Amino acid sequence: MERGFIKRFINTVTRAKSSSDTAMSAVTDEELVRMYIERGDELIYEEILSRHADKVFGLALRITRTTEDAEEVFQEVFMTLSKKIGTFRGESKFSSWLYRVTANAAYMRLRAEKKHESNISLESYAPYDEKGSLMGRIKNKDWSSRPDLAIFSKEAVTIIENSINELPESNRVVFHLRDIEGLSNEEAAEVLGLSVAAVKSRLHRARLFLRDKLSDYFYEWRK
Amino acid sequence: MTNPGHDFICRDVVENIMDYIDKELDLETLTELEKHTGMCPECRAFVDTYKRMLDLAGKLKEKKFVTPDIRNRLRILLQSKVKPS
Repeated sequence: MERGFIKRFINTVTRAKSSSDTAMSAVTDEELVRMYIERGDELIYEEILSRHADKVFGLALRITRTTEDAEEVFQEVFMTLSKKIGTFRGESKFSSWLYRVTANAAYMRLRAEKKHESNISLESYAPYDEKGSLMGRIKNKDWSSRPDLAIFSKEAVTIIENSINELPESNRVVFHLRDIEGLSNEEAAEVLGLSVAAVKSRLHRARLFLRDKLSDYFYEWRK
Repeated sequence: MTNPGHDFICRDVVENIMDYIDKELDLETLTELEKHTGMCPECRAFVDTYKRMLDLAGKLKEKKFVTPDIRNRLRILLQSKVKPS
C-alpha cells in the first residue's frame, strides 16, 4: 500500500479522534483491516475495536446470556483478532467474519458450560386455529396504534429483551442477527453456517412468539 | 406463494408475512394477501402489531454494552499478552 496514503490515513484517524467522526466513517472496515495487517498500528486497531465492540459483546451476550460469559467471549474475540486478523481473506464482509468468530467462541463456551437452555418448542408455533383462522385471537389485543411513548417505553424494551431470552438458542441468535443487528437472511445464514431457508424458518417462529408476548404485555398493561 | 384456485385465509397471511415485509412476494400472492387483510380486521391487526414488534426490536440495536471498565480490562489483557507486530 502506498506510504503517503497510510500517513494521510493515520492523520485522518488522529484528527477524527480529536474532532469529528465524519472523516473516519468514510473508511470502510475492510480498508481499516488491510491497513492494520500492513502496519499493526494500535490506533487503527482501536478504531476497529470501537466500531465492533458492542456488536461482538451483544451477540456474545445473546448466545451465552450472562454478562460474565459475554465479556470472556468479547476478550477472546479481540485477543484472537489482534493475533489472527491476517486470516481474514476479504471473501465476505469483515463484520460477517467477525460475527462468525464471535458466534463460534460463544458456542464453545456454551457447550463447555452445558448451560440450561430454553425448552420451549417453536416448531409449530402459530397464532391461527386448526382451520387456519385468526378470528378472535388478535384484534382484541391490537396494540399497534398505541403512542410511540408507550411502545418504545423502557418497560416495553425490557419485556421484548426478556422475551428474546426466552427463545430457544437457535431462534434467539437468528432473531438477534436479523432484526436487531440488521443482517440480511443471506448474511445471517453465512455467519451461522445455515441455509437461508433455515434462517427464515427460525426467524419466522421467533417473530410470531415475540409478537404474541408483546400483545400479552400491552393487553395486560391496558387493563 | 398461493396455489391456483386456493382461497386466501388468515394462515396464508401469517405464513407469508416475512416475504410481505421484505417485499419479496410475487404479485399474485401480494394481491391476494392485501385483498384478504383489507377485509379481515384480525389480519390487519396481526400485520400492524407484527410491524410494531419489529420497530421495537430495532431499538435494541442502540443498546451499548461495552463500558469503559470492560474496554479497560481488554486493553490491559491485550497489553499483557499481545504485542502487535
